[in-house]
Amino acid sequence: RSSRKAFKLTHSYVEMHEFMLQIKPKPGLSSAKAAQVLARDGPNALTPPKATPEIVKFLKQMIGGFSILLWIGAVFSWISFGIQLAQGAESPFDNLYLGVVLALVVILTGIFAYYQEAKSTNIMASFSKMIPQQALVIRDGEKKELPADQLVVGDIVEIKGGDRIPADIRLIFAQGCKVDNSSLTGESEPQSRSCDFTHENPLETKNIAFYSTTCVEGTATGIVINTGDRTIIGRIASLTSGVGNEKTPIAIEIEHFVYLVAGVAISIGVLFFIISVSMRYKILDSIIFLIGIIVANVPEGLLATVTVSLSLTAKRMAKKNCLVKNLEAVETLGSTSVICSDKTGTLTQNRMTVAHLWFDNQIYSADTSEDQTTQPFDQSSPSWTALSKIVTLCNRAEFRPGQENLPIMKRVVVGDASETALLKFAEVILGDVMNIRAQNKKVAEIPFNSTNKFQLSIHKTDDPNDERFLLVMKGAPERILERCSTIMINGKEEPLDSEKAEAFQTAYMELGGMGERVLGFCHLYLPENEFPDTYSFDTDSMNFPTSNLCFVGLLSMIDPPRSTVPDAVSKCRSAGIKVIMVTGDHPITAKAIAKSVGIISATSETVEDIAKRLNIPVEQVNWREATAAVVNGMELKDMSSQQLDEILCNHSEIVFARTSPQQKLIIVEGCQRQGAVVAVTGDGVNDSPALKKADIGIAMGIAGSDAAKNAADMVLLDDNFASIVTGVEEGRLIFDNLKKTIAYTLTKNIAELCPFLIYIIASIPLPIGTITILFIDLGTDIIPSVALAYEKAESDIMNRRPRNKRKDRLVNEQLAIYSYLQIGIMQSVGAFVTYFTVYAEQGFLPSTLLGVRVNWENNAINDFEDSYGQEWTKYQRTYLQWTGYTAFFVSITIQQVADLIIRKTRRNSIFQQGNKVIWVGIFSQIGIALILTYGLGHVTALNFTPLRFQYWFVAVPFAILIWVYDEVRKLFIRRYPGSK
Amino acid sequence: MSKETKKPFRQSMTEWRQFIYNPNSGEFLGRTAKSWGLILLFYLVFYGFLAALFTFTMWVMLQTLSNDIPKYRDRISSPGLMISPKPDTALEFYFNKSDAQSYAEYVATLRKFLESYDDSKQSQNINCTPGRIFDQNDVAVKKACRFNLSELGQCSGKEDKTFGYSKGTPCVLVKVNRIIGLKPEGEPRIQCASKEAGMVEINYFPPEGLIDLMYFPYYGKSLHAHYLQPLVAVQLAINSNSTKEEIAIECKILGSPNLKNEDDRDKFLGRIAFKVQMTE
Repeated sequence: RSSRKAFKLTHSYVEMHEFMLQIKPKPGLSSAKAAQVLARDGPNALTPPKATPEIVKFLKQMIGGFSILLWIGAVFSWISFGIQLAQGAESPFDNLYLGVVLALVVILTGIFAYYQEAKSTNIMASFSKMIPQQALVIRDGEKKELPADQLVVGDIVEIKGGDRIPADIRLIFAQGCKVDNSSLTGESEPQSRSCDFTHENPLETKNIAFYSTTCVEGTATGIVINTGDRTIIGRIASLTSGVGNEKTPIAIEIEHFVYLVAGVAISIGVLFFIISVSMRYKILDSIIFLIGIIVANVPEGLLATVTVSLSLTAKRMAKKNCLVKNLEAVETLGSTSVICSDKTGTLTQNRMTVAHLWFDNQIYSADTSEDQTTQPFDQSSPSWTALSKIVTLCNRAEFRPGQENLPIMKRVVVGDASETALLKFAEVILGDVMNIRAQNKKVAEIPFNSTNKFQLSIHKTDDPNDERFLLVMKGAPERILERCSTIMINGKEEPLDSEKAEAFQTAYMELGGMGERVLGFCHLYLPENEFPDTYSFDTDSMNFPTSNLCFVGLLSMIDPPRSTVPDAVSKCRSAGIKVIMVTGDHPITAKAIAKSVGIISATSETVEDIAKRLNIPVEQVNWREATAAVVNGMELKDMSSQQLDEILCNHSEIVFARTSPQQKLIIVEGCQRQGAVVAVTGDGVNDSPALKKADIGIAMGIAGSDAAKNAADMVLLDDNFASIVTGVEEGRLIFDNLKKTIAYTLTKNIAELCPFLIYIIASIPLPIGTITILFIDLGTDIIPSVALAYEKAESDIMNRRPRNKRKDRLVNEQLAIYSYLQIGIMQSVGAFVTYFTVYAEQGFLPSTLLGVRVNWENNAINDFEDSYGQEWTKYQRTYLQWTGYTAFFVSITIQQVADLIIRKTRRNSIFQQGNKVIWVGIFSQIGIALILTYGLGHVTALNFTPLRFQYWFVAVPFAILIWVYDEVRKLFIRRYPGSK
Repeated sequence: MSKETKKPFRQSMTEWRQFIYNPNSGEFLGRTAKSWGLILLFYLVFYGFLAALFTFTMWVMLQTLSNDIPKYRDRISSPGLMISPKPDTALEFYFNKSDAQSYAEYVATLRKFLESYDDSKQSQNINCTPGRIFDQNDVAVKKACRFNLSELGQCSGKEDKTFGYSKGTPCVLVKVNRIIGLKPEGEPRIQCASKEAGMVEINYFPPEGLIDLMYFPYYGKSLHAHYLQPLVAVQLAINSNSTKEEIAIECKILGSPNLKNEDDRDKFLGRIAFKVQMTE
């Protein structure tokens, strides 16, 4: 719908500014008038898209996710502090501190997440920074160089080849002017521009050049008719902001996860609040229990860990040329099920290259790879010598000087695409082309034009014994053939009979059928007697023969696929990702490229192929039999969305050809209707609505316009389709790894929660404190959870189908149950054994501990008797309680090491897969625990005490049990895949 | 559009009902009875195993412990002080010397506390040599030393059944926490002081608040069943001018280098502070 709007707004654009023609070009605007208009219209620049204010972004981090739960915890702490203070209780400040700590946790993790976000946004900001553009303007009768944003409607500007068009201008003078409108309309060929009004539609008419397009060659003068946001580009850009930004899949997953955990936290919290109240605990105590339960349940460090993992992946992807603007897009790429890819530049190398040759009645293939240095085809035939001479001489393209050290394929050439291709082709085979041209001095030349459809030049030859001039000609094959009477076979001229003409036709059709642009080459040695050395050639009167020439051969060119693309496409195929090609090119070319890269596989047929094979009209073919489809943009225009859906549904291999960038949006919407996660590549300004609409918009880093880069979620630095596939791989990997991280993190929540529940029910001394829990969540567990992000793919990552948005959740029932009810409970048992051991070895046997809570915590009781008859003061008990905390903490840490090891892989055994970073995680975990217990064991506020060394090993058998249990589970999963 | 359309209420209700009980497949909460049974069985076995494992490890751990003395005593290297009677909430005594009801609880507590010190209960206890540590390491059956109530003088409750509360000279018994194996050095004694001078006069029983070394060391509940910890009675003769005023008193253990009384954090380690307010 929105794309239709884009079509409409361009109408009546011409009429609106008809009056502009009346402006007298010579003196231009006066500075005063210009200033006046500038004040009215504003600067000639696009309004940048509205950015979310930094403070809003920051606040979002502060209240998003679990933060709100922790805030509630903090507020409860402060409330109970207030009550206790009012009641004059002995240690009310504990709760104040707890509240402060909770608030600090929220604020610090918030700042951290904000910083991470900002850092990844900054990469982009630096990317989009541009050098201010200058424009040559006539004002007050003088030519002035002005910054382009100072331009106003009515200004006269001059443009030459290489300039960027500084505003929408109507041309009043043009000489050989060609503009590259590809960013606007998707046409890859430069369009010529003149002063003639040729079409109602401003996008079609020849006398308007558009803002932000580039002038490729020639010069022009024009009147500015629109500036800034009122230009065509500006209107499209504003259209883009109208397209809604949808939530990324990972954001949905994390939200789902937060709801799940928060739901568990709140329901357990409330349940135990009710239990403790009905067990006659004081309301205030019950509130404090509630805080403990919330803190135990909320994985405080997890969201920060997720951010770090995502940004690590983003960094890794940046190394592989995928620059991710929005961190969450990292994962979106992994869940992609459809990629709508451009052809030119993304799938192909974006340069014409000679692909095939035909001479001596035979087709030869040329090497089209990116880094060719030789050509392997048979070059012994004298016909090739003749052909190569024509290719070399009948060519106006030249290398820019000073590039001798560069590989030929990388050198910059002045000239059009096919001439460039021929020049490079010749240079690769023959060597110094410029030298050959110098030795075969050009005496006359007729450049290519659209009426002749040929190019001709006449040269002196480099053979000193041969005084004849050589006439060389190239052009549209059928036109060239018309002018020939002979054809060269194995170096000998033979008459061109109908049989040979037939052979030519076959070859021409075959090459054309491959989607290649075919050129014909012929020559003629002018007889020495008629054309002596001094003969003066006149290209206007054509005083030389242009017929009865000798046909030498055909060369066909194509923009060849990048060599890495076919592999990438087949990877996509095995990964269950549908690759749809969307291009402005001709269907035949599009199909040829699609076939050569595997988007249309060798065995599948389109409706047209079936028709051809069965020799029946296209209409009679049952289109359900065709697996592939090539859809023309013209057909697409008349299609209803149902028809489009049918095509998208029923064909696994689709190519959209001759499409306008606006139609891309329709295609994207169609794919999204099928429930697909769609990745779209684009470079033009007109692509931006589609980029924005897509689940992940991918802009081209080299060819892409700024508008496209702005609208995209990701920028491909090398414009290479294969980079997308590596991105997909990374995205899938991070989803798997996040799953591992979350499973790892959730497990110990039970071991943190159980102490509170048992404390409330069995009235034992508190096994672990709230602050200690925070030290696990934000201390020992952080680095291991990040280390899981470095986990390598389990073998099958690119062989499975994309994740189903509805079914394959980040956190599903199974993961939660396995973590909470199995591993978590095992951890709790292990930790409780340590806890009871510590108390028993100090004199409190487990039986003594049950039900002691009230007396244990009573400050006035300082002769609390243990199982051996000894008496303890309150502080001695408290210190013992902290020792209990430390022991519990250490046990959880030790068992988390086992948890980390089992979470490393989901199916593979630990013996099948290594990861060095995991060791960093394990060592950091133990290191931090050692520092906390022995280094900070004397800081009372932290509630750690130096622990007897043997208590570190109490939970080890349980850790081993966890590991063995999980290995057995994995064994079952590997043995009986699909069950359970 | 990829946005999900909201399901009508009725449909979502039916879906819920389907989820809770699906008559077609016999599924209850998304699982069949058999599946639920298997899951419950699994968790029964799983948790049964864990419970057994827990019990077993605890049993093994308890086997390593001695019945007589705890494995470690490092958390209580120095004893705390405690008083009797001990008011319920905080260590604050409020009573009216002319109102027997106001101190009845204190008296009852003291009486109860001293029951075990009654001569009749001490028949098995032996008279030990005063002033010397009573080491019984080599003896299998540890004897308890006799603590004569008479040592508490006016605070023994024998002459004055109200422990002085009715006369405005309330008694408070100070005891040293039992710690197995603790052998005080020097000549430990209890000394109390009121923060403001002149409000109260303090008398000690036994005189000077001495704690005899013969009551140490303690060998633990099971070996040393009849052990009685030494007591020091502190009698506060409250100045008649200072009635109605809150008197803060702090008692400390002195004279023994290995008994701490100055710990910053533990306010009861070798010392105890309490308040007394008497009205008439």
